[in-house]
Amino acid sequence: MTESRRTLTRRALAALACAMLALPAAAADMNKVIRHVFPVAETGFDPQAINDLYSGTVAQAIFETLLTYDYLARPSKLVPKAAEALPQITDDGKTYTFRIRRGVYFTPDPAFKGKKRELVANDFAYSLKRLVDPRVRSPYAFLVEGKIVGLDEAAEAAKKSGKFDYDAKIAGLEIVDRHTLRIRLKATDYGLSYVLAHEPTSAVAREVIEAYADESGRVQANPVGTGPYKLSKWVRSSKIFLEANPDYRGFVWDFKAGSDPEDARLVAEMKGKKMPQVGRIEISIIEEDQARLLAFQGGEIDLMNMEGPLAPNVLDGGKLKPEFASKGVKLSRFVDAEIIYHYWNLQDPVVGGLAKEKIALRRAMAMAYNVAEEIKVVRNGQAVEAHYPIPPGVVGHEPGYKSSIRYDPAGANALLDKFGYRKGADGFRTLPDGKPLVIRYASRPDSLGRQQDEMWKKAFDSIAIRMEVQKERFPELIKAEKECKLQMRTAAWIADYPDADNFMQLLYGKNIHQSNNACAAIPEFDKLYEQSLRMPDSPERNKLYREMTKIIETYAPWRLDISRYRNMLAQPWVLGFKKHPILHAEWQYVDVAPKK
Amino acid sequence: MTAYIIRRLWQMIPTMLGVILLVFILFNWVGGDPAYVLAGKISNQEQIDNIRRQLGVDQPVWVQLWIFIKQVLTADFGASWSTNEKVGSILLTRLGPSLTVLIPLTIIETIIAIGLALAVAYVRGSLTDRLVMIICTVGLSISILVYIIVFQYFFAYKLGWFPVQGWGNHFLENLFVYASLPILIALVVSIAPDLRLYRTFFLDEINQDYVRTARAKGLSEGRVMWVHVLRNASIPIITHLMAAAPALLLGSFLIERFFSIPGIGREVILAVERSDFPVIKAITVYVAFATMATNLLADLMYKAVDPRVQLK
Repeated sequence: MTESRRTLTRRALAALACAMLALPAAAADMNKVIRHVFPVAETGFDPQAINDLYSGTVAQAIFETLLTYDYLARPSKLVPKAAEALPQITDDGKTYTFRIRRGVYFTPDPAFKGKKRELVANDFAYSLKRLVDPRVRSPYAFLVEGKIVGLDEAAEAAKKSGKFDYDAKIAGLEIVDRHTLRIRLKATDYGLSYVLAHEPTSAVAREVIEAYADESGRVQANPVGTGPYKLSKWVRSSKIFLEANPDYRGFVWDFKAGSDPEDARLVAEMKGKKMPQVGRIEISIIEEDQARLLAFQGGEIDLMNMEGPLAPNVLDGGKLKPEFASKGVKLSRFVDAEIIYHYWNLQDPVVGGLAKEKIALRRAMAMAYNVAEEIKVVRNGQAVEAHYPIPPGVVGHEPGYKSSIRYDPAGANALLDKFGYRKGADGFRTLPDGKPLVIRYASRPDSLGRQQDEMWKKAFDSIAIRMEVQKERFPELIKAEKECKLQMRTAAWIADYPDADNFMQLLYGKNIHQSNNACAAIPEFDKLYEQSLRMPDSPERNKLYREMTKIIETYAPWRLDISRYRNMLAQPWVLGFKKHPILHAEWQYVDVAPKK
Repeated sequence: MTAYIIRRLWQMIPTMLGVILLVFILFNWVGGDPAYVLAGKISNQEQIDNIRRQLGVDQPVWVQLWIFIKQVLTADFGASWSTNEKVGSILLTRLGPSLTVLIPLTIIETIIAIGLALAVAYVRGSLTDRLVMIICTVGLSISILVYIIVFQYFFAYKLGWFPVQGWGNHFLENLFVYASLPILIALVVSIAPDLRLYRTFFLDEINQDYVRTARAKGLSEGRVMWVHVLRNASIPIITHLMAAAPALLLGSFLIERFFSIPGIGREVILAVERSDFPVIKAITVYVAFATMATNLLADLMYKAVDPRVQLK
């Protein structure tokens, strides 16, 4: 038997096995409903165009990426989704080859003119191209920009011609055959698999986009995917109704319990079930905290993320209050894959620069800030202090690491004295050259912004530095930040994908005016960061991250602040629910027990 | 009459131009540049410029103003910057829920406030009158937020008489199930100030000579109050009602937000949060137009209610 025949036979057998294992969504019971709540309105469901968590959550249920994450494995572990298997990574991490599952179909739509439309490799290539199409202006273009061979050039050509040529061949997006996609990168990048598990890279069908696109080339209201659910009704900013996709292949719930003792219960509840079990998902948008909590307590909703302000009503320490626990309410709680940090603009004439007295000033300010008090007073205890720039749940995180920057106002004062920041007649410190020292802290004009102002005022008072508050609305803050015009601000970064690079790039010098809001260009850091880009997840790469963390502590462009807890509440009748740190549409993994 | 209406319609043009200019200046001054938010977490200047070009905010100010004027003239405000949904569609779909709450509320509230005001005006100075006025003053002193939180907790959550929040698919379901508690709360909040206001209107009329004459002629007290006094007090009542009518287009911000009613009020808050200028300017222009239209309607109603009124 020749090699190609063998391959063909193997593929045919694999396809047969897949077909036998594939379980249509007939398993889903249309009488089973999960009622979920979002605190913020969605914007639409075009995976390449959306820019908010809630729209992305719905898109996760409707569309499919090449890869996804194991439901129970922690830290998050990549597994295939629309791909048959994890990619073949060759050429030193520069070439990724994916084989797409056969027999996966888009939900029927008039755009397909009555024909069944199979998911093919070209759909993923098309979706990746859409990310850089200037007309679509995807907020997630950064996921692929500068990475795939020929893609940036295609985007440049589109800017000149005014139209992206989707038919032009792109060397980095090779369609080997109908079900094989080969992605070639300009440089080694072992993190691409994470990018391809992120919903902006989900497959959309070109026919659907061309049939329904608005003037921006987006299809926000007519999502047609291959995922477990389809949109059945949408009342914008109010209700989203999803129904199990009858053409979805389905799967058997067979996840392995991890170290979390709760996992055993989930396995007992779910193992062997054909998924998805739940036929309908009803999502309500409820902005007000009280309404959301009362609706949950009244049994009007089944799943709810509990934000910080609500925590004292429901939690006692990290556990449910007796009135909730006694009703069988379940809590899924973990530290989110995010960091909140305070940054100083390294291009600012007062707080910026790499001179010793500037570093001392930033370190002193960092040491004056009381993170523990913020957690208690501002965050209602629903956060932990962040010591490492890579948060828990993200590959590269180092548990147990303790930052050298700690709350120490006395040490901060001593540091300022040593570097010539002397107190003037008014009791406030001046710059070493005797000029007035005033720090402008920028924040939003909302209640959290005011609380942060107060926390920082207290910190600055403790080291006798005069502070001014710069109040700006969010768009203006972002604009000033990108132009490196703010002096200091508190910022947050939530993981797009659970790899350290997603966090470490925040201080890379080439990302100034993009994601590097501290406008930091620290040569030692940049050199190590560039080395880390060429390495897969390994102890060697982690060593680099540790060194980079030390550099952050030394130069103090940031004061790492906190990572917040995510507290997800589930009604007693929701089975198999465990909040995933990266995935947000867990509906396909859960079941609903009959109400007693 | 026709000449009067045409003249008033002409007068609306400079007023509307003033509104357009004011909205435009205010938004451009305090509204912020939406491109930086729409560009996402990691974006470069080129992408931001591309968004500004697509939204048209890179155009000279006078060009943007002219586009705004054309939008008002054609009643086509384009699409929302954050969702790309047509602004016309946003307003049409959100108006129904807002009116489902506000029209029954306005009708019930007007009837109850007029009835109670007439009654307390009739017994002015009595213990009942004083008690009602004290209750009104207390009611006026409490924020609508308190009513919402307390009523939602007790009547919806604790007693289960109403759903805590939500909106259904059918008009009657929405009116009788989901809108009932919001209407009840809005009634409690709005009756007190209106009752006090209408009472003063009635008290002004009750002391007039024609009331004494009507009584001297032997008319029943009911007829005196409900026909003569009410009719003569109608003009300020109509003025008050018509001044409040454009608010129907704005919905009720807090009520809609707390009860998850997909109305205009909730949309306005969302548009402000998202710096969604096309939605904000459309709503502002419609409300301005509605204010002018209801003012004209109020003038015409004065004539219908009181033939002595001359429209000049």
